[in-house]
Amino acid sequence: MNIQNNPALREKLAAEYVLGTLRGGARRRFERWLVTDAALRNAVAAWQSRIVPMAEWSQAMPPPARVWNGIERRLGFARAVPAWQFWRIEGARLWGSLAVGAGAAAVVLAVVLAGRVQEPQLQQVATLLDEKAQPALVVAADARRARIDVRVADNVKMPDDRTLQLWAITAAGTTRSLGILPDNRHASLRLDQRAVGPDVTLLAISLEPKGGSPDPNAPTGPVLYKGAWVRL
Amino acid sequence: MTQDLDHPEQLRRLVAAVALGDRAAFRRLYDATSAKLFGFALRILRKDELAEEALQDAFVSIWHAAAGYQPHLAAPQTWMTTIVRNKALDILRRQDDAVELDAQQFDTDLLLAMQDPAAGPLDRVQMTDDARALAHCMGVLEGRQRQAIGMAYFHDLSHSEVAAQLSLPIGTVKTWIRRGLEKLKTCLSKREAA
Repeated sequence: MNIQNNPALREKLAAEYVLGTLRGGARRRFERWLVTDAALRNAVAAWQSRIVPMAEWSQAMPPPARVWNGIERRLGFARAVPAWQFWRIEGARLWGSLAVGAGAAAVVLAVVLAGRVQEPQLQQVATLLDEKAQPALVVAADARRARIDVRVADNVKMPDDRTLQLWAITAAGTTRSLGILPDNRHASLRLDQRAVGPDVTLLAISLEPKGGSPDPNAPTGPVLYKGAWVRL
Repeated sequence: MTQDLDHPEQLRRLVAAVALGDRAAFRRLYDATSAKLFGFALRILRKDELAEEALQDAFVSIWHAAAGYQPHLAAPQTWMTTIVRNKALDILRRQDDAVELDAQQFDTDLLLAMQDPAAGPLDRVQMTDDARALAHCMGVLEGRQRQAIGMAYFHDLSHSEVAAQLSLPIGTVKTWIRRGLEKLKTCLSKREAA
């Protein structure tokens, strides 16, 4: 088709290209013409300036901060953070998924523990999830016994030659070691007030060399599980 | 910040700075335009998480494409809006469920857009002159011409899809859209000349 000498057709096609009603083969052919036809590109630009402002009739709505964070991350602007600092990397999206898991954990623990003779006074609980959001272990702080109980789910396999270490993570992003799981299945750790402070929002388990992280203040191995530390 | 929309020259300078890799300018550009663009993406996609994805995709593209932006062809706002629309439509086409169409909402937006700016709510005042002129000229069209054009634009409908939505023969819809667009052009150029 020759559209060179058909100004009315050129206008119609340019308008429908911008509106989006020019489809399929006709659209692809039009795009090929655009490559070599500057006047046609100008016609498209003119139609864009006519039609596109329709977008502005929509109600303005400030996007949530995580949109900008995501843009920075995708463009590689964000300051490089070590991989284990997942709460910085994943931003706000983390919280939604964690809240669900933690709620479920509270219910499970309440049921399990209700049958005990001496009822613990549960102060805080967390279900730690793996990267696929499968629960791997539960953590509960018992104020009466001043202990933090940790149990790994039965179906979770742990390597024998490494040590699991539990960390408290504050809202500001600092980490505090709460102790290791000597047999990688469960542990009863001393309830450290620093672990249950109001600034602690997350718990995490990292995989460390035998005996625990060489760095007392931060994990050195990968974070396997994490979860929101929920006050009851 | 949104008042920057009324100063295309400021946006143009920001885009030029972004083309040179200026991250602070990129942030200012985002601050000046993201609320409008997010509102638009939401209008197309309806769901927050999808609109957020579209906005992210768009700004990543804007960063990379800024060097190729041609100020003589399009106002910066138009250029950015076109990118957002393309990203939103890409996402829309990936969805399994058709996004619900809302011709009623379209006309409500139009009525608001045509209001006397002095009487409208604040966010309407911050519309560019182009958008206000377009609202006026769309208002001159017949109701169903206006609807057909709006549906095609916001919902990425083909002629036959618009025809199905409005229960009309496709030939009728094609003619309406063509005549509607011609009338729009005439009306807009008259306003420009005035």
